[in-house]
Amino acid sequence: MSLTRTFKVLGKEFRLGPRSPVFLWVLFLPVLFTLVLQVTFGSLFDPQPRLGIVDQGSSTITAAVEGMEGIDLAMLDNADDLKAQVEADNLDAGLVLPAGFDDQVRSGARPPLEFYVGGESLASNRIILAVTTVDLVREIEGTAPPVEVELVALGDAGLPIAVRMVPFIMMYALVVAAVFLPAFSIADEREKGTLNALIVTPVKLSEVITAKGILGVILALAMTIFTLFLNDALGAEPLALFVVLLFGSILCVEIGLIFGTVSKDSTAVFALIKGTGILLIGPTVFYIWPDWPQWIGKLFPTYWVINPIFEVSLKNAGLGDVWVELLIATGVIVLLGAAVVALTRRLGTQLATAA
Amino acid sequence: MTDAAIKVENITFSYGDLEAVGGISFEVAPGEILGFLGPNGAGKSTTIKILTGQLTPKSGSAQVLGVDVTKDDPEMQAQIGVCFEEKNLYDSMSGQENLKFHASLFGIKDVDTDELLRRVGLADRAKDRVAKYSKGMKQRLMMARTLVNTPKVLFLDEPTDGLDPVSSQSIRKLIQQEADRGAAILLTTHDMNEADELSNRVAFINEGKLYAVDTSENLKLKHGKRSIRVRTRDGAGVTEQIVSLEESGAGEALRAAVGSPNLMTIHTEEATLEAIFIQMTGRGLEG
Repeated sequence: MSLTRTFKVLGKEFRLGPRSPVFLWVLFLPVLFTLVLQVTFGSLFDPQPRLGIVDQGSSTITAAVEGMEGIDLAMLDNADDLKAQVEADNLDAGLVLPAGFDDQVRSGARPPLEFYVGGESLASNRIILAVTTVDLVREIEGTAPPVEVELVALGDAGLPIAVRMVPFIMMYALVVAAVFLPAFSIADEREKGTLNALIVTPVKLSEVITAKGILGVILALAMTIFTLFLNDALGAEPLALFVVLLFGSILCVEIGLIFGTVSKDSTAVFALIKGTGILLIGPTVFYIWPDWPQWIGKLFPTYWVINPIFEVSLKNAGLGDVWVELLIATGVIVLLGAAVVALTRRLGTQLATAA
Repeated sequence: MTDAAIKVENITFSYGDLEAVGGISFEVAPGEILGFLGPNGAGKSTTIKILTGQLTPKSGSAQVLGVDVTKDDPEMQAQIGVCFEEKNLYDSMSGQENLKFHASLFGIKDVDTDELLRRVGLADRAKDRVAKYSKGMKQRLMMARTLVNTPKVLFLDEPTDGLDPVSSQSIRKLIQQEADRGAAILLTTHDMNEADELSNRVAFINEGKLYAVDTSENLKLKHGKRSIRVRTRDGAGVTEQIVSLEESGAGEALRAAVGSPNLMTIHTEEATLEAIFIQMTGRGLEG
């Protein structure tokens, strides 16, 4: 196999790709899907509370807010700027902390605190910012709250639905890029006879199939990373995320290559995907409904790449936490790879013996 | 024949129980056009697939440019050109893009696509997507694509099938130019006029067997009648006379006919390739 020839075919795939409807699916559908699901279940358009602070001293309130993940903090130089930003709805609320504010609070004095609220800000954000501010002032004062708050969790414990949907959205992006694209590309070339034209040049059929596989892996990696980014699920370890996504992309691309090599035309690929789609996406439903028997998900071959991605992207796991799954995924990848090699040979024979 | 560009010795191939090629042998020299004449299903395309390395013969041997075709040698593949009967171009690419991409597969970076497109009369459509081309234009582009690597051996599978006379003539001219350049050409066709016009020699193939490999002139001499048909007009109408060249006095009869003021037409009675094919194989070239 020649890498030079493989990359020449890959170059053609990238040039022709944007002219293909399947390529456009790959690029746009996962984004569209993310938007629809996030609007329905998630918080994509629910921005975090935005607080502006003018700190004329060095208040511990500022340091405390800086350390909070749920609040977007903006530091400003003067109160006029702050008021203008709040009025323009660039901030939900603004706080002016005069010099020596913390000391005055600790000494029992009751210093004035300017707290500006944007007229167009969400009520929920105003409440969050106001309560947080009061709590922080109370911490400086060192007094206990006047009531004992008892937290009672209602509803199912676990991850929110928006998070549980992420594996489904991610797998959708993976399947479209890694399965649809190579499968339709092979079937389309076979249908139009262009594969025959390629294999009477120095290019080998195995190089054509490899090029289509590489295209699928590259796009699958790009689209899954982008989809996870949109869902704020990139995890804590970028390298681990890249590795588990690479495993997922390779496994799904192999499935795509199998679909492409066994299908005589695009219609056959479509029928195959329709018939077997549940096998690809299946494991993701067990994340959406955690009450279902989770062992069933492990029966699906794609589980062994979906679960590591889920653990690393959403639960901040590292490679050490998912090595068993990756080992099993490696076995599946080797088996599917052998099938791809055998089916590529079979395709070569079919192309030559076709009337 | 020495230094044959294509050398085939007794190759066979079967699709299951169906014998598609049954022990055929022939050679094609550089600069020669061998017309492979036979009806659909005769074994023409299978032979090309064997010679281009797509199929492996069950027995026998075949060499292209001295290389065993079963060796799957990219060096050999780089020196051949294949023009298919089906129009297998990238429709979403322009004509120029198709040629550039195909050339890149042969490792050619500086292919003169303008010249190739000019040769096939598509210079003004270079940047149009192939999807907008007519059937004849696509076939001409297929020919141009076949030539991107200046091949030493050309396999042309029904290159003018179903084309209008203008496109057919333009492709025939190109084939002749390539032969003049020195390329060995295996031209499969079931158009006997095309084979007659272009080929240095023709091979008759039917049901996987070769019935004859010779120049069309020799075949016509061997299998045709040595006679001349003379038509004259007189007061009673048109009279037709067959003058046999085998008999004595044929020269006087011809001189008399040529000198006659009533002479209308003179035709040789040589057989057509199709008639010879039918005579030898018992089957027509069509269908």
